[in-house]
Amino acid sequence: MIEMKNITRYYGNFRALNDISFTVNKGEILGLLGPNGAGKTTAMRILTSFLPATSGTATVAGFDVFEESYEVRRRLGYLPETPPLYLEMTVESYLNFVAEIKEIPGRIRRPRIRETAARLGLEENLGRVIGHLSKGFRQRVGIAQAMLHNPEVLILDEPTVGLDPNQIIEIRHLIKDLASDHTIILSTHYLAEVSMTCVRVVIINEGEIVAVDTVANLERFSSGKPMWKIAIKPGNDQNFAEKLKKITTATTAQCSELQIEEGISRFNLEMETEEDFDEFFRQVSSAGAIFRQISPVRASLEDVFLKLTSNEEKRGEE
Amino acid sequence: MKIFAIMKKELQSFFFSPVAYIVFASFLLIVGYLFWVVLVTSKLATLEPLLYNASFVLLLASPVMTMRLISEERKGRTMELLLTSPISPMQIILGKYLACMVLYLALILLTLQYPLLLSRYSSDFDLGPVYSGYIGLVLLSSAFVSLGLFTSSLSENQIISAMLSFGGLLLFWIFGWAKHAFDNWFGNMLGSLSIFDRYSDFLRGIVDSGNTIFFVIFTVVWLFLAARVIESERWR
Repeated sequence: MIEMKNITRYYGNFRALNDISFTVNKGEILGLLGPNGAGKTTAMRILTSFLPATSGTATVAGFDVFEESYEVRRRLGYLPETPPLYLEMTVESYLNFVAEIKEIPGRIRRPRIRETAARLGLEENLGRVIGHLSKGFRQRVGIAQAMLHNPEVLILDEPTVGLDPNQIIEIRHLIKDLASDHTIILSTHYLAEVSMTCVRVVIINEGEIVAVDTVANLERFSSGKPMWKIAIKPGNDQNFAEKLKKITTATTAQCSELQIEEGISRFNLEMETEEDFDEFFRQVSSAGAIFRQISPVRASLEDVFLKLTSNEEKRGEE
Repeated sequence: MKIFAIMKKELQSFFFSPVAYIVFASFLLIVGYLFWVVLVTSKLATLEPLLYNASFVLLLASPVMTMRLISEERKGRTMELLLTSPISPMQIILGKYLACMVLYLALILLTLQYPLLLSRYSSDFDLGPVYSGYIGLVLLSSAFVSLGLFTSSLSENQIISAMLSFGGLLLFWIFGWAKHAFDNWFGNMLGSLSIFDRYSDFLRGIVDSGNTIFFVIFTVVWLFLAARVIESERWR
């Protein structure tokens, strides 16, 4: 559905993208991940035909973004980093304007606006002036603008930035929901976001692709072995620390330093496989201790990122 | 029609912001005052001074009206919406041009009260120069808007756009002065670029096809250039 082939983009002498290639299949959500200034926005702008590439080709829905940009634009909804809103207009008049320039036929314009507004929880605000809306609502109007003409492809540049936690969850659900009949690229710098919405991720750093993989693979890759954060209340056993040591050394575990706070021992435990934990859990509970916390330690973007970029350097040295 | 969508949006924006009201009010106030002053001092039933004054006030006010047209789209990042929608730069420019022209026509219509007054109370009021003068004023507005649109496309800073537009308009206004300095082909060439000289002909009752074509070409050239500037973003 979307294909980028050897895209390079210079701003003057600055190389923003270097030989980027990836494809997105129909109905897929692809996460574009990277720190600020990595080139995510540039890549998206090239796909939307807002910016030309210095070299390379990109197609959306089978149309070249440069040669057949009007065809591409008909099939594409785009939410830029800053939602493109006319602050003096009301939500309804704004959406009506967008509907007109996106070539939505007159007779279905009104129902489409109502429907989109309902999907984004904007019905109550249709009559309000955009400049008076909160940041979260403005972001929703921005998303409404992108999906209004029901495009095949949606490109969302940091759709949840600046939203409160509840809104972030709502927007993520919405994106997942949209994925059933759209192909979506979204950019973010939170790994949590892509792990909730995307299956496949492209990680960009300094204009280069450092990884194209599934979220599951990336997480596994970065943490290596499974690790759990555990907190245990030892009960009345005075020698629990010793006992615990025995248990952990009996298995293949790597255990971090015990931190004892208000009688609760906290530590991170790493094992070869997930199955190894079963034995550990069984032994701890048979020793009479109570679990207060068991949670998997997932790799953050920083971890994945550091690992990937440092690997890159090592590869360079070899 | 996408051109009319842009036009409608621009008109909405004009009336949501105080700029249009302020320009309308000061234009009508100044023109009304000048009409009264000229009439009581000269006691002549002619519209020529009024149309001359109107054009000069328009020269001052026009950059303020046109400065936001494209600058604001850039500053507010709404250009990204326009340029990723199936609409061409020329359609954007034409929509904005038409919106501005609608506004100027409304402004011009409001000044029709003065020729109506004169024809009501004067027995020898010549309507010929009034018709030609108004044709000239509409053509002049069109020239002002198109140059303003072009300068607005150059910068995302509205003040810079306004200043460029004012400078450009003033330059075309005073080009004719060179005619007296150089009495040769060079002076004549500069003189022929003067929008003021050409406008003056209309005020004297002459609808010259050369002058009309000049204003039409002037408008088309700046509109075309404005569209090219927007388009150039795509291949810069």
